[in-house]
Amino acid sequence: MEDRIWLLRAMLLMRGIEERAMSLYRQGKVPGSFYDGYGQEAVSAGAAFAMAPEDRLCILHRDLAAHLIRGVTPARILSQYMGRAAGITRGRDGNVHFGDRRLGCVGMVSMLPDMMLVATGMAMAFKLRGERRCALTWFGDGSTSRGDFHEAMNWAGVQKLPVVFILENNQYAYSTPLDKQFAVDPVERAAAYGFTGVTVDGNDAEAMFEATLEARTRAVDGGGPTLIEAVTMRMHGHAAHDDMKYVPKEQVEEWRRRDPVERQERRLRELDVDVDALRAEITAEIDAAATEALAGPMPTPDSVLDGVFATEAEPLGDGQAPWSGYARADAAGGDA
Amino acid sequence: MAPLTYLQAISAALRDELRADERVLMMGEDIGVFGGAFKVTDGFAAEFGSDRVMDTPLAESAIIGCAIGAAVVGMRPVCEMQFADFISCGFDQLVNVAGKMHYRQDLAVPITVRLPSGGGFSGGPFHSQNPEALFMHSPGIKVVAPSTAEDAKGLLHAAIRDPNPVCFMEHKHLYRRVKGEVPDEIYETPFTARVARPGTDLAVIAYGAMVEVALQATADLDGASVEVLDLRSLVPLDEEAILDSVKRCSKVVVVDEANMTCAAGAQVAALIAEKGFEDLDGPVVRVATPDVPIPFSPPLEQAVLPGVDRVKEACRDLLEY
Amino acid sequence: MTSSSTDTLIDVTMPQMGVSVAEGTVVAWRVGVGDAIEAEQTICDISTDKIDTEVPAPVSGVVAEILVDVDQTVDVGTVMARISSSGGAAPSENGSAAPTEAAPADTATPEPEASVPASSGVTAPTRAASRSGGPGRRYSPVVSRIAAEHGIDLSTVEGTGRDGRVRKQDVLAVVNGNGHAGGAVADPPLHIESPYRPDPPEVGGTGSAQVAKAPAGSSDAGGVVTGGGGLSRIRRTIGERMKQSLDTAATCTTWIEVDMSRVEAARAKLGVTALAFVARATIDALREHPALNAWLNGEDYTRPQDVNLGIAVSLGEDGLIVPVIHKAQELSVEGLAARIRDIARRARARELTADDVLGGTFTITNPGQYGSIMATPIINLPQVGILDLEAVVKRAVVVTDSDGNDSIAIRPMTILGLSWDHRALDGALSAQFLATVKRRLETLPS
Repeated sequence: MEDRIWLLRAMLLMRGIEERAMSLYRQGKVPGSFYDGYGQEAVSAGAAFAMAPEDRLCILHRDLAAHLIRGVTPARILSQYMGRAAGITRGRDGNVHFGDRRLGCVGMVSMLPDMMLVATGMAMAFKLRGERRCALTWFGDGSTSRGDFHEAMNWAGVQKLPVVFILENNQYAYSTPLDKQFAVDPVERAAAYGFTGVTVDGNDAEAMFEATLEARTRAVDGGGPTLIEAVTMRMHGHAAHDDMKYVPKEQVEEWRRRDPVERQERRLRELDVDVDALRAEITAEIDAAATEALAGPMPTPDSVLDGVFATEAEPLGDGQAPWSGYARADAAGGDA
Repeated sequence: MAPLTYLQAISAALRDELRADERVLMMGEDIGVFGGAFKVTDGFAAEFGSDRVMDTPLAESAIIGCAIGAAVVGMRPVCEMQFADFISCGFDQLVNVAGKMHYRQDLAVPITVRLPSGGGFSGGPFHSQNPEALFMHSPGIKVVAPSTAEDAKGLLHAAIRDPNPVCFMEHKHLYRRVKGEVPDEIYETPFTARVARPGTDLAVIAYGAMVEVALQATADLDGASVEVLDLRSLVPLDEEAILDSVKRCSKVVVVDEANMTCAAGAQVAALIAEKGFEDLDGPVVRVATPDVPIPFSPPLEQAVLPGVDRVKEACRDLLEY
Repeated sequence: MTSSSTDTLIDVTMPQMGVSVAEGTVVAWRVGVGDAIEAEQTICDISTDKIDTEVPAPVSGVVAEILVDVDQTVDVGTVMARISSSGGAAPSENGSAAPTEAAPADTATPEPEASVPASSGVTAPTRAASRSGGPGRRYSPVVSRIAAEHGIDLSTVEGTGRDGRVRKQDVLAVVNGNGHAGGAVADPPLHIESPYRPDPPEVGGTGSAQVAKAPAGSSDAGGVVTGGGGLSRIRRTIGERMKQSLDTAATCTTWIEVDMSRVEAARAKLGVTALAFVARATIDALREHPALNAWLNGEDYTRPQDVNLGIAVSLGEDGLIVPVIHKAQELSVEGLAARIRDIARRARARELTADDVLGGTFTITNPGQYGSIMATPIINLPQVGILDLEAVVKRAVVVTDSDGNDSIAIRPMTILGLSWDHRALDGALSAQFLATVKRRLETLPS
């Protein structure tokens, strides 16, 4: 039950933060572009929830829930959107281009799916060192067209690496629909690279969690990579400036009925959870975060030239893993 | 202390690092069982296993990208591009993912990318390039280019131990032609320039294979006292050493094997024009490869690569100025 | 509703709906002035190149102003409306959300005015194309610099480079060969023809706050600038200042002849230059005749307490500068000599600070090095006097002993010239001043 509430909580937080950020964007407080994952909340929430503290994640731009589950606070995320000093990148990179290295996350770059290779490399190191850990990354349907998709799938397959690839099939790469992107559903390609591919309802957070947990188990047990195709729908434009006129209205309406947040809410209401109280709590949390973020200063240019080079190399740290299964494992380990 | 070729010195550095640090890992095409296209890692797979001396798929973007992933979880990967030219296929990972990582999110990427570079042996347009300037123009990447066996080992040790992405430009022409005394132990050569020969009348500033060309071209130049400055490191660039040479000599020839436009030598010349102007007693002269792909046929290739005669002529001309 | 004194006006600006969007059009206002609104409530609809959207209120409050009409197209960032907020309700109530905060780009513009090295103008490349000693002769930067540092006239140097070009080694040979021939006074001449005050730093990008410069050839009588419009900006500035002085001041020049026997004897003993003695005597004379230690700005005439003595220092082909010895009245001859050496060295090394060149009350210029005997210096406004020290030359003069007997003697003589501003004083006073200087120099204790 607590796990189910956690999933809803992560999705509600993601949706609430993104709505607030969009409002701040329209008020001119968020510079540059603004991207969100409205309608796709279950994909990142479900998948990230299956990750252990020692696992490592390369997070894409419509996966805010993953950051929240790993332990990034809403205030830091809103500061990040607004280019403030308290943002995760301290104003050096914008919007969703961030990852808190102390929480085991690597921020994405705009060249997609470059991070597939980074995740593959992490998994390669885990395997070399004989560690029971896995790496996970998300990418979109458009990414399957680029060479790095093939290079990562192939490398992971050849070396049978503990990596989970989540293909976030949200029907459009910017304005380009699937039938202009590929001739064969990419999930079928997994077999060609020598590993498992599964298709999951990307609007069902619990289904996402189950599929990812299974993939993780396979990975750490030496069973190699898994490609999970999460079928979902991008319910907003590519970014704030995109009114999505190229998407048929009926398609949007159809997917609206399958809203992932509402689905999880229904589940919990049936179990007599006070969802309204949860919602109120989250709204208050976001209000407080927005107040804190707005009060924070912009970065000052005096340090703008610093940090191009590192003076020491500190690897990624462990993230939070709220799933009760890991808490139980910890407790068991503590007893032993 | 043993006399080693430039190539043996590189091998020695890699072997020492693999022995000294279990985080060190070699990745590249044909580097394992085969020992590498130039046999730099010959015998390594037998000693260290094919996990640590890894034959990768033929995928340069993947080699760099996976190295980045391994590095951020605590490894010290050393990637080999079979030829420096092939880095074009890994450019995105190196420049966009590795180079910008620390500035954006304080995450260090300690990887070394070995780039066998340079022409002179009919390698043609795809096996002869000197792409170092591309990375000088990409923030967050260090670039070093040894000219001697001793520096090849010391700079490679330093590169592998540096917490940043480092492009290690190893010149193919030097592999078996340059030999020198190399200390047996692990030592780190700083990323600074080195006066290869002191002088007062004219300074030739070069790096990599062009250092030897500069030394030969100016060994006996009608009695003139010619300094040769070996840059060794292009990022960071040793501005102080360059300006010191200018101050001493007041006449400068900058030699690049790379294509002329926006090359490392162009940056050196610009630096001198800006900060060494008052010490100049003549124009800053550049000798470099014209802006053409490196041709295959020997007479064509020799016509474009800077050689001893061209450098000598440029120096003479400037000395008379 | 009216705003209370604690209310804050919050701007509602045209948002940037996409990186490339530069402007937007107001389609409709959903609220009017005086309406009470809640934060996040839509207040207007806008249309941009990329998208049509709604603009939410950043705070709760009352619409105070609407500044953009329907169908009006304005730039991104333009204030469209102002909301009077009583504060406390919305997250943006804190100070950072005030109008000034709406433009983060301002704070992100590192305008490094203060960090622009003041010496950046020193390396003006004009010298590379300098001409001297006849048409076609150009000197490299290092040759020009060495020549300037050592007071070498490059037109007299034989070049061994291509086509007779003077190379670094040629000028160094002159330095090494002749460098110590000057005896007691090895310093290069301090003077050039006229004082110059550099531009304030904000004028132009290349002007230095510290050092006046002139292109090569400007001090060379034979130098013919080719290429048309050849005067550098700095040369033009010097010209403008000098012309302005002549146009403003009622300049007169008075000369007096001085027997420098005592000075020559004393300077040999102390190992200092004649200039230090002249400076000391001038300071004493200024204390006696404070009308010359003054500034005249229009009708505003002031006499500063201190003697801040300007000394014109030649920068060779770079022009000249007048660093100032502040409170010079407090210094002995040795102290003055040390300070003159120091400011001359720092002037040539481009190490002067702005304070070093400001506040002068009187100027001495000293071109004696080349043997000229008289000049008519131009007053360094707003000062009212400038003293010119020329060469000290041995001359046959009539001397009168204590018994009144005349005889002819060989004496080191010099001619001091004083240019003075007739607006501030009259000829009698300038003559008295010169006589005081003369008396002090001729009666030095031997």
